[in-house]
Amino acid sequence: MSSIKKIVAKESSFFWAVPAVTWQVLFFYIPVALIFLISFFRAGLAGGFPTATLENYIYFLGPSFFLVILRSLLLGLVNGILCLLCAYPVAYCLAIKINRFKNLFLFFLILPFWTSLMVQVYSWFFVLEHNGLLNTILLKLGIIQQPLHLLNNTFAIYLVMVYCYLPFMIMPLYSALEKIDRRVFEAAADLGATQWQTFIRVTVPLSMAGIRTGFFLVFVPSFGELVVPILLGGGKQLFVGPLITQYFLSARNPALGAAFTCISCIMLLIAVGLLYLFFKKYMGTTTAKGKI
Amino acid sequence: MVRSQNAFLTYLLPVLAVCAYLFLYIPIIILVIFSFNSSDLPFAWEGFSLKWYHALWASNEIWHALKNSLIVAFSSVVLSITLGLLFVFYSWKNFLHHFFIGFYASLATPEIVIAVGLLSLFAFFSVPLGLTTLIAGHTLIGLGYVVPILQSRFDELDKKYMEASLDLGATEGQSLRYIMIPLLLPAILASSLLVFVLSLDDFLISFFCTGGSTQTLPIYIFVAIRSGATPIVNALSTVLLVVSSALVLIFSSLKIKKADLLQ
Repeated sequence: MSSIKKIVAKESSFFWAVPAVTWQVLFFYIPVALIFLISFFRAGLAGGFPTATLENYIYFLGPSFFLVILRSLLLGLVNGILCLLCAYPVAYCLAIKINRFKNLFLFFLILPFWTSLMVQVYSWFFVLEHNGLLNTILLKLGIIQQPLHLLNNTFAIYLVMVYCYLPFMIMPLYSALEKIDRRVFEAAADLGATQWQTFIRVTVPLSMAGIRTGFFLVFVPSFGELVVPILLGGGKQLFVGPLITQYFLSARNPALGAAFTCISCIMLLIAVGLLYLFFKKYMGTTTAKGKI
Repeated sequence: MVRSQNAFLTYLLPVLAVCAYLFLYIPIIILVIFSFNSSDLPFAWEGFSLKWYHALWASNEIWHALKNSLIVAFSSVVLSITLGLLFVFYSWKNFLHHFFIGFYASLATPEIVIAVGLLSLFAFFSVPLGLTTLIAGHTLIGLGYVVPILQSRFDELDKKYMEASLDLGATEGQSLRYIMIPLLLPAILASSLLVFVLSLDDFLISFFCTGGSTQTLPIYIFVAIRSGATPIVNALSTVLLVVSSALVLIFSSLKIKKADLLQ
């Protein structure tokens, strides 16, 4: 009897780890599986035994929906590249060049990361409005005669997307650059490399892990972005996020929405896979090391 | 020997970095300035006034949204930290440890897929949408951050302390309470703050998992922007900015303490 009690006491510790797993399965894996299942059934089936169908997928066979997905992939890709170009100078200066007030600069870098996305989006209205900052400055300088329409277009979407996702790129880049051993730079200089050669052949390859992490951190959420296209795009161009939302919330057609979600996810997975191969083949640290 | 200076690296790169900082801060600074505007239009300057802060203080709708946001944020912090901590501690020696990778999946999935999935789940079992469903969703998002953070800290720790306490007759619960929680405290505090802020800022999950009745602060701002913002939103955004900077300060001071502990 006592040995059974001991075994129960020993094994019961196992059960304390179960709630977290249950939560994850119940609210992540089951919903995702449910989306997959729903996509094979007809919407609004009144009575009768539901039969599986491919109708929902056939509905999306066509260039117009394919274009929506491509547009979202492009948004993620361009946003990733623009964020990288904006973030690299900041991360580089902060990690390698600056020594004084480093914590202050870091604080101002972390702050946008913790600021509400909605506040970030809202603040751009002050700049892009009809009589906002940008138009006022351009008018005063005499560059333009009439205020430009800066809101509700693709330009506004891309601008604010870069703004919102920049911190996600800067952080991994900064931590990758900070980890580089400073003696490597000295070694490169001693061996006769110019500053530029050191940067291209040593610094950039050694920060490649950060570039890759940052790129995926920007690319994947950008693909499904909802708020920025809705508030700043003026609904002129459809993206994946707003379209999924339409099917689920306004059109009340979850079956079509689920099918579109599945198609988008498959395309996203393919894109991520291709990007991964691209990084591995052309930007892997091993090949860069080989060149040095 | 005069080392050749590269113009791009020496001059242009710092200039670009300054530009990036300006890019990050100009909109925020203008937003803060315009929150002290006396005009009834959100984007036109008239004169200095605090009247929108008074209006903010007097707005029942915003207090209600704040209450909802805080309830959801606190509950999801408590839930995700408790579940995460128990998982990390009790899965150490058994096969559940392998499920650890399973928590990363919610980070790698676009949030909209999770939101739509949760909506379908609740609709399928006809669970009424409200604060409870919101807490369930935010706790899931929280777990995706808490488990990896706590696990990586737990893996770094020397397990000798725990084994010593068990050898000396402590139960597993006592070992968790007196050895592991104090050792993991910096990671616990850091991830609590992170989950708190994520929950407070979250829009997507909240948008899908609340019925029309429950409103959180991000949803309030979203609706306000869509239906034509009033300057109250300027004041509200400024207050939120001040709160986030205070939280960042706390967060970074935690990091310093963590560094002290390691030395």
